[in-house]
Amino acid sequence: MPASSLAALAIAAGFFTLNTAAAVAAANERGAELAAMCASCHRLDGHDRGIPSIIGIDRQTFIEAMAAFKSGARSSSIMHAVALQLNDGEIATLAAYLGTRATERKR
Amino acid sequence: MTWTRRKFGRLAGASVAALAARPARSGSRARVVIIGGGIAGATVAKYLATSSARPDVALVEPKQQYTTCFFSNLYLAGIRSLDSLTHSYQALAKRYGINVIHDTATTIDPVAKSVALAAGGKLTYDRAVVAPGIAFKYGTIEGYDEAATQIIPHAWNAGAQTELLRHQLESMEDGGVFVIVAPPNPFRCPPGPYERASLVAYYFKQFKPRSKILILDAKDTFFEQDLFEDGWNRHYPGMIEWLPAQFTGGIKSVDTKTRSIKTGGDTFSASVANIIPAQVAGELAQRTGLADQTGWCPIDPLTFESKLHSAIHVIGDATNAGDMPKSAFVANSQAKACAFAIASALTGSEEMMPHLFNTCFTFLAPNDAVSDAINMKPSGGSIKITDIFFSQVGESDEVRRQAARQADGWYNAFTQDVFG
Repeated sequence: MPASSLAALAIAAGFFTLNTAAAVAAANERGAELAAMCASCHRLDGHDRGIPSIIGIDRQTFIEAMAAFKSGARSSSIMHAVALQLNDGEIATLAAYLGTRATERKR
Repeated sequence: MTWTRRKFGRLAGASVAALAARPARSGSRARVVIIGGGIAGATVAKYLATSSARPDVALVEPKQQYTTCFFSNLYLAGIRSLDSLTHSYQALAKRYGINVIHDTATTIDPVAKSVALAAGGKLTYDRAVVAPGIAFKYGTIEGYDEAATQIIPHAWNAGAQTELLRHQLESMEDGGVFVIVAPPNPFRCPPGPYERASLVAYYFKQFKPRSKILILDAKDTFFEQDLFEDGWNRHYPGMIEWLPAQFTGGIKSVDTKTRSIKTGGDTFSASVANIIPAQVAGELAQRTGLADQTGWCPIDPLTFESKLHSAIHVIGDATNAGDMPKSAFVANSQAKACAFAIASALTGSEEMMPHLFNTCFTFLAPNDAVSDAINMKPSGGSIKITDIFFSQVGESDEVRRQAARQADGWYNAFTQDVFG
């Protein structure tokens, strides 16, 4: 393979990484903005004093819990209202964000 | 696909966020000056400082510490100390690098984009956020002015006023009458005056059981009235009496020497009185032309930018934000929406539709709390309620006990979110 092709490949790979990093950063920022809403009641440092911590919550568990609050299968007027504010995409972004924070915390 | 400026801005913003070495070069950092370190001001300072825009954030607040108005009725009942409701600005300064300036902002020049401080300095800004809270409309009740608050406290800003009221309640003889004058709408904390009656009744029931509480209201109905009336009947039968304006003819004047309150009809004598006056946006908002003829500050419902001065945002109790009640929770919710809108404007990234929410925990007794949950969203140039849920009369004791425990957990998490 000629050197120029290698360089082009390297640039392409770099570009790809860059876009992925940008996408991750954007998703993370969006996750942080959504989690700000949770932070009015749930401490986001992993501690809790009566209102359960949602840091480290398993993604699927979180998504299922939010669905149950939205439908009313799980009873809480406050969480029912919160769930009604969030669409499926936002709930998925939040699930991913809260999971990421758990990973960072364990490091 | 057509590339609009907005889409370009959004992509560029995302890349910049990913690539920018942090912190940004100090010479080019945007400057945001926040005036007022209550719930709205402290929250917006923290969320701006941690935003991808990384602006230089200054917070101007004369007080060294902030005592929360919410939960101060628990202090009046002797259940919580005022210390446990008091928070410092140290974490905001140390953890988030916010320049906390303990001074008073005297004027804002919206053209030069600068804020003058009482001590003499000036701060220039790219964006300013004004969170002045409320001011009292003295004079709407004849004889009740600022000097009168030293004899008959309003106790509607927490601190010395709340302590004064507590001392008066402690010194009151058993069999005395505690009169609360409740304000007209809109006012800070819609359930507050009635929660105060509930928790002072809890204190009386233990220590001064022959005492009475009389609420003279400027209104004919009040927030969560059915929940309160049910709670009063169950916990304090015969102790609390509420008189609407249509019954008394409204509250006319007060004599601080005799602690007597004159209404359109009768005059009522109090052993201890608490007058919560009618309210408007905080003084700075009035002085700087951010408030309109209603006395409150009109804002853009998406960004909380003032409709009267560009590049100045107003948040918290001082705003006229459509259906949004004047609560600490709303102040916190608005502050986040405002911080994200300012960060988007500074980086050119996409603005998201704000998530506006309110919940209030209200104590009928220490083990009997109720809550509401309200979703709101920008609509037709204002902010409208989309969903609203309340606790119900007849809920089990266990449900109410659980709400009281949640309320304590909420206070801890919420103040951590604002000041921690």
